[in-house]
Order: sequence, then C-alpha cells, then structure tokens
Amino acid sequence: MRSVKALTGNAAAAYGVMLCRPEVIPNYPITPQTIIIEQIADFINDGELDADFIPADSEHSAMSMAIGASATGVRTFTTTASQGLALMHEMLYVPPQVRLPILLVNVNRSLGAGSGIWVEYNDSMAERDSGWMQAYAEDSQEVLDMVIQAYRIAEDPRVVLPFMLCLDGFILSHTVERVEVPDQEEVDSFLPKFKPLNRLDPKDPMSINIAVSPAHSMEMRYQLDRQMANARPVISEVDDLFAKAFGRRYGGLIDTYRMEDAETALITIGTATSTARVAVDELRSEGKKVGLIKLRFMRPFPHEEIRKAVKNVKALGVFDRSISVNGFGPVFTEVRNSLYGSGIPITDHIAGIGGRDLKVATFKEMFSVLDQSASGKKVRDCTWHGLRGEM
Amino acid sequence: MNMYEIRFHGRGGQGAVMAAQTIAEAAILEGKQAQAFPFFGAERRGAPVMAFARIDDKRICDRTQVSEPDMLVVMDESLLEIEPVAAGLKKGGCAVVNSALAPSEIDLGVVARCVSVDATSIALEMLKAPIVNTSILGAMARADDFVKLESIQQAIMNRFGEKLGEKAGRLNSSAAKAAFDRSREGTCKGERKIQRKNAWLPTWQETPPGVALPRTTKAGMAVGPGSMSQNLTGSWGVSNPIYDDSKCIKCQRCWFICPEGCIRRSDDGALRFDIRYCKGCGLCAKVCPKDAIAMKRKGASA
Repeated sequence: MRSVKALTGNAAAAYGVMLCRPEVIPNYPITPQTIIIEQIADFINDGELDADFIPADSEHSAMSMAIGASATGVRTFTTTASQGLALMHEMLYVPPQVRLPILLVNVNRSLGAGSGIWVEYNDSMAERDSGWMQAYAEDSQEVLDMVIQAYRIAEDPRVVLPFMLCLDGFILSHTVERVEVPDQEEVDSFLPKFKPLNRLDPKDPMSINIAVSPAHSMEMRYQLDRQMANARPVISEVDDLFAKAFGRRYGGLIDTYRMEDAETALITIGTATSTARVAVDELRSEGKKVGLIKLRFMRPFPHEEIRKAVKNVKALGVFDRSISVNGFGPVFTEVRNSLYGSGIPITDHIAGIGGRDLKVATFKEMFSVLDQSASGKKVRDCTWHGLRGEM
Repeated sequence: MNMYEIRFHGRGGQGAVMAAQTIAEAAILEGKQAQAFPFFGAERRGAPVMAFARIDDKRICDRTQVSEPDMLVVMDESLLEIEPVAAGLKKGGCAVVNSALAPSEIDLGVVARCVSVDATSIALEMLKAPIVNTSILGAMARADDFVKLESIQQAIMNRFGEKLGEKAGRLNSSAAKAAFDRSREGTCKGERKIQRKNAWLPTWQETPPGVALPRTTKAGMAVGPGSMSQNLTGSWGVSNPIYDDSKCIKCQRCWFICPEGCIRRSDDGALRFDIRYCKGCGLCAKVCPKDAIAMKRKGASA
C-alpha cells in the first residue's frame, strides 16, 4: 500500500533505493550523505532490503566495487558527496565506457578549502564530462521518484549508462517534507529485474574493460557520445510511464513554470527552483510576464528543449550555483551554447555559493537584471548576487 | 490556513533539528504540507543552532530561512544573551521558552504572548539527559493550536521510536505531555535590546587571500589565531564540574579529554578548571577514576 511519510531528501533517497532492490551497495559515508547509507543499513538490518552492504575503505574503492558488482550483472547502488566524489573521479570514467548502469546519489556539497559542508555544485559539475547521466532534484518526492526513474532509464537497453542523481546538501538532504512512498509491488512492475547487456559469468567467459590501442579509443568515445544522445527520448518516455503508474510527472529533461506568455525567463536547477517559483508568482501578481525553466538534467543536456521553451522570450537568465573559475557558471556555458545565434540576450546569475541562503528577493534581483537586458540595455554577462563588496 | 512559520534557536545536542522535523511530521500526519530544515555553522555540541519549520495546506515552495516567524522557540535561555533571538517575530506571534521563570519574568526583547516551561528539568527527570526537544514540542502545542498534542505525540513515537526503540518513543512522548501540562502562559518583557551578533563579515576585497587569517582586530573583535578565547563557551552547558582536590590522584585523564581545553595543570599537579570555557559536557567527570569531579546544575533550576 502507498503510504505518506515525513522524509528528508536523504531518507527519500534511501526509501527509493529500498524499493528498487539493488543487490550490491558498496559505500563510504560523508556529510551530508551519511544518513542515506545509515538508513539503507537499517533497512538491510531489519530485513526490508536484501542486499550486500559493503563498507569500503574509501570512495575510490566504493566505486571500484560498484564497477565489479555491476559487471556481474546485478543492480548496484552507491552514494557520496563532494570530496568523496572527487576521490571517485578516476573510477567514474569506467562505468560509462563499460556500459554499467550504476546509480550514484551525490549530495552536493562545496569542494575545496574553506571546508564548507553546504551546497554548491562544483563537485558534480566537475564530473559532467565523465559520461554519467546527471539529474538534479528539487524536493524530497522528486528524489524518491527519480531513484526509481533513474534505474529504469539507466538499464533501458537503448541507454545502458550510469546515472548520477544530485540533491542539494542540507537544503534538500536534511529537509523534511511530505513524501508519498509507492508500494513495493507497483515499483516491481515498473522496474523489472535488471537484464544486463554484458555480464561476467564463469560459465560463459568474456572480458569487460579491456585495454585498447589508439586504433579503437576514438570510436569508443564517439559511441559513448552518441549513446548519451540516445538517452534523451528514453528520459521523456520513462517520465510518461512513471506518470501513468504513480500519478506524478516531472517533465523529462526540463520542466517549465508560467512560461506561456513569458517575456523574461530564468533557468534554475535544484532546490533554487522552489524559491524561484515564489518570486515568479509575486512578480506575476504585479503584472510582470516572467517564467521559469527548471533544468532537470545536466547530461544529457536539453539543448533543443531549451531552444523551444525560450523561443518567445526577450531575455534569458541562468542561475548557477558553482563557478568554472574565469569561465562563467557551467549551466550558463551550456545554455549559451544551446542558444548560439538565436539573438536572445543571455546572462549568468551566480548565487547561493557555499549554501548561502537564497531569498525570494535574490531571484527578483535576477529578474530586474533581465528586465534591463530585455529593454536593450547593456548588462554584465555574469552577476554575482548576494556578494559583499562592489563587483 | 495561512502558512505558519516557526524558528527554533537551540544548541548542538539539544535536538532543535529533530524538534523541527517532528513538528513537520505531526502536521503531515494531520494531512497538511510541511517543511523542516536546519542551519548551523560548525557541527559541534553546544554551538548555537537554528532550525526552521513551515506548515501550510498548500505545497510549500519557499526554501529560505524563516526571518519572520509566527512562533519562536528558544530551547536555551542563554542564547538570549548572545543572539538576536526575537528578531523578526511576527506581530501577534508567540514565543516558547525553555526556562524555569514565569513568562512575565522573561525578557525576550519584544512584548509577546509567551509560554515558558522548564524543559531541562523535565528532560533530566524523564529522559536522564538535557535533551529538551520533546518537552519543548509539548509546550509548543500549548502555545498555539496549529497542530494537536496527539499528533505531536504520534510523530514523536514514529521518529524516536524508530530510531531509539519503542520505550524511548514512549518516554519522549510522555515528556511532551508533561511539558504541555506544566507550561505557563503569559506575556514576556521587551526590555532587552535585540542586537545582531558582532560578526566580522568582510567584503570580497577585504577577505584575506589564501584562506589565511593573521592575528588582528576587526571592529573591536579578535579574528584569526586566539579569537576563540573570546568565545566564552562556558555559557553553553547546563552544569559545571565541581572538583575535589583531596580525592584527585593527579592522573590527568580529565585534562586529556576536555574538548575545550579548560582544565589546566598547576605546578603542584593539581587541576584548575576555567569554567568560562566549560560547556558542561561532563566528560571529565565520566573519565575520573576516583569520583573527584561531580557535575552540578547551574542557573535558575539548580
């Protein structure tokens, strides 16, 4: 039976994982992710989930174990954050090329000196080139639902790629919200047992992850690049099927909010979308024609979807919660690529770095820059909002 | 209903985060929408912590920290001395304060409807630990009827029972009921000046390069090495160590374990406690093999 629970983003991830019945869970704890792995350990201990729980000696080892497990053809899960993801970096490049549909939940936390534990996307954005699909969640319900969707997408024979689901450290990972937990039978019928593309089996020997010469590498990379593009229709299709089965729809690669007749629009990602919705509602009630585009996937990147959504806007802003030093925010760079030649003025809006509180006023400030931009005024390419000191 | 917003002020270890989560769960049990989340700097027992909760009939989108609460929850009275606790309390809003004092004796900084409860005594009595969150939850139900006491007790059973076992769930649920019964209603005083903490918030131009802070003074406060000496962690705890020199064998285990470094060795080997920095964790008393250290409650309920 479906049940309603008060769950944090982390607990919602753990419930989602339990319902998907992964068989191997190598792991290493790190704030703010630890609660996920603790909750999963509880599920296993209580007999609610039958899985091999392997405490690893590092995140590098955890990902290595996940690769080994997935190569034997079992559904595999692991989770990390920030420095842990950085330590996995070397091994992250293996599953995409070897085509292992591992699910990794990354709880976004700022990386590097300053040792913050709060949200910033510089951990996962740095892995956008690794070949993992990458999605960002807005609330606890979406976290749970996306865990289920993620396995379905990743294991689809037309895709077979690893999936990184990202949630904002603390602002989502530690926020309790109302979550509807689906029934086990419903999830079982939505997500059948994993049928691997290739599988290590002593009775039918095969080599996976062989070393190749330059004669093969280039084709392998091209194949992977094409494969990621192939995932795009599958993501929309799975969202439709999910809506039919569970009654909740997320929009696939992007979602839009009040974009019907919007003259200016902002692209947001993660939990920032929630507060931005409030800003849009308030501005709309003042008669301003503003709208939102919620970027749900960073990989595959929704170039076409964004082009379509902003066709009629006069100015577009992009919210970024990380900075590629001296190279704008990573989301902005992608969006500007998508809209190259469109003539729509696009600006980057960096805010919420290191978990700084994002206020409704912060988003209104972004829209006021867009107003100026729409009226043909020259504005900065990139504005840092909430920064102390003149830019 | 309109959106109901709550801000909790507590100290690391008192359970402010769990209190916010539990009140959200209670509202969800009643079929409402709710949201609860924490904010803190260091993950450190005794350090000031904030937590927030929102309750509404509709989906809650706003994820900003609550700046204008309908209800203010003060889990540790000593925070009134160091934090602008009452800042932004909505007109007509109410405060719930953990205190042995009557509401009329509490100076919150704003005149407001107030419920006081000696949650620390209830917690020590019923739970044998100064974890006041579940008692405070009972007082919250007394202060306003945004959620029912029964829903709070059910939420406590769910959350605490699941984590710590059914008995712990029942004990905590009874602590909430006891606090509900023992709460005192009234109006608090508004004599205190609500001041922002003296925080050094440099512009990006003033931020020292290299994440390096030299020993210096900014706006009358020390920053960099030695600045912790201004942080009088002695106001954090509910009890202080009482040291009996005659029982002490000078093994110095207490000196080794004190997380705040407030135990000093004198030349004669005896120990001196600098209680200005003692946050009352009681580790010294726990490791003492000769019971030469005892923890004694301080403040109004001592």
